[in-house]
Amino acid sequence: MKENSGLRSPGTGANRLRLTDDELLAGLAEGADGALAQLYQRYFPMALHLIVSNNGSEDDAKDIFQEAMVVLYEKVTEGSLELHCQVKTYLYSVCRRLWLKQLARKGRYTLYDTERDPGEGEPTVAIETDLSDHAQRDIQFEVMESSLTKLGEPCRTLLEDFYIRHLSMQEITDKFGYTNPDNAKTQKYKCLQRLKRLFFSVYKED
Amino acid sequence: MEEDQDIEKALERYRRRVDLRKKLDQIHASMDMDAIQNNLQWQQQKRPTLIRQLWQAHKQTLAIAASVALVTTFATLFTVWQYRSTHQQQAQYSMLRRDVQAIKQSQNQILSSLSARRRAAFNSTPARVAGTSFLVAPNGYLVTNNHIVQGADSIYVQDHKGDVYKARMVYTNRGYDLAILQIQSDSSYKPLPTLPYSFEPRPSDLGERVFTLGYPRDEIVYDEGYLSSRTGFRNDSSAYQVAISVNPGNSGGPLLDEKGNVIGVISGKQVSTEGASFAIKTDYLFRAIGDIPGDSLKGASLKLNRKNTLAKLPRKQQIKKVQECVYLVKVFKH
Repeated sequence: MKENSGLRSPGTGANRLRLTDDELLAGLAEGADGALAQLYQRYFPMALHLIVSNNGSEDDAKDIFQEAMVVLYEKVTEGSLELHCQVKTYLYSVCRRLWLKQLARKGRYTLYDTERDPGEGEPTVAIETDLSDHAQRDIQFEVMESSLTKLGEPCRTLLEDFYIRHLSMQEITDKFGYTNPDNAKTQKYKCLQRLKRLFFSVYKED
Repeated sequence: MEEDQDIEKALERYRRRVDLRKKLDQIHASMDMDAIQNNLQWQQQKRPTLIRQLWQAHKQTLAIAASVALVTTFATLFTVWQYRSTHQQQAQYSMLRRDVQAIKQSQNQILSSLSARRRAAFNSTPARVAGTSFLVAPNGYLVTNNHIVQGADSIYVQDHKGDVYKARMVYTNRGYDLAILQIQSDSSYKPLPTLPYSFEPRPSDLGERVFTLGYPRDEIVYDEGYLSSRTGFRNDSSAYQVAISVNPGNSGGPLLDEKGNVIGVISGKQVSTEGASFAIKTDYLFRAIGDIPGDSLKGASLKLNRKNTLAKLPRKQQIKKVQECVYLVKVFKH
């Protein structure tokens, strides 16, 4: 991480500055929306070019690139990103592999490279690992999604409000009309236990 | 409980991803997709088709191959063109003058075989060009080709015995390629009473047996053949085509028929064709002599011999008589 990232204060007025990749990644790790937007704006055209050049649509490009951004973001926030190449190359390689997977379903196994493919070097191995990690998290995400759906109301909204929207117990008590926060807390606990059962009945972590 | 933590962690991850997706959608929506697409289309125009891809991959090889082909083609064309320009005319028609400089070596050998007295005449400055000439009148008028004597500073003639006389140029006709020389009166030349041969004014027939005497070397050389065409090189009506083997140095020699009438003056040959030599018709010799201005003759009249004393003689006797009238011409240019 660069020392001067603090001096340039990437989170605030630096949006208009052209930040380096390292600075952007640092910003991403801190959850700065500006960094995310800059990365997106900087590298989406590259992904679009790749996908459109290989029988894809703009929507395909959006899906693939956002998927790649999710991979990057989750690696960065986890702190487990080991970058052996430029961010651009990393994103390109991820998009390339993700799109190849889609193409393989249609019986195509090659694509036309719009950028130089980094090839079979060390970064490729890292990317494969990153992608298999990502596939794992994808499954978890989908199981969570379906579990939440199966959970039904009001449990789902309650849990979402608490865990996802970070409402306080008092707010939840008011919203759901519980008599007191303790009551709400008990409800939340029951809901979480149900979700846990639903979730782990399908999802088994290795 | 451990599972509680796990499920909370899973929920947390879920939340983060949902958040992220929302943000990404927002960013995506905020972007000017039309501008990006336009920019991309501009790039796409550069996006190669299969042929273009092959071109991209192999253009260096192709460029090298193409340039090699180009160079080869032009080199070949140039070589052919140059060969043609240098050889065409020479290859077609070669004047049979002998460039002595080019065969200096052989001349030196010949000179060494000459007697000391004769050698003295040539040793100092070797002749530049040599050819043949023959008498048209007994009082020392000779005919030869213009291409032998043109540009000459001094002309010497040498008879078959090796005696050398100085000659002057009386008249030249570049069009007919004929030149009239006269042995200078102050030299020790003794005029012959008559010439053994006459000049045939009528055109000769195809198949006429002909012979010639000339100096392709420093020694007189006899050769014979037949008249093969009434016209010369490229249908030149002023010449005959003769199937006779002649060489540089034969130029200016007499072409005689069986009876010993002069029917032409050897002038050149077609190198690309075997046995195609050319001789200027006597008719043009008459015309050239007729064109000589009276002043040039300096009083000594030029009368062509009409009486032939060779007709009934065998060839060997004919040659003996004719060779006395055939001279080697040596031309000096300084």
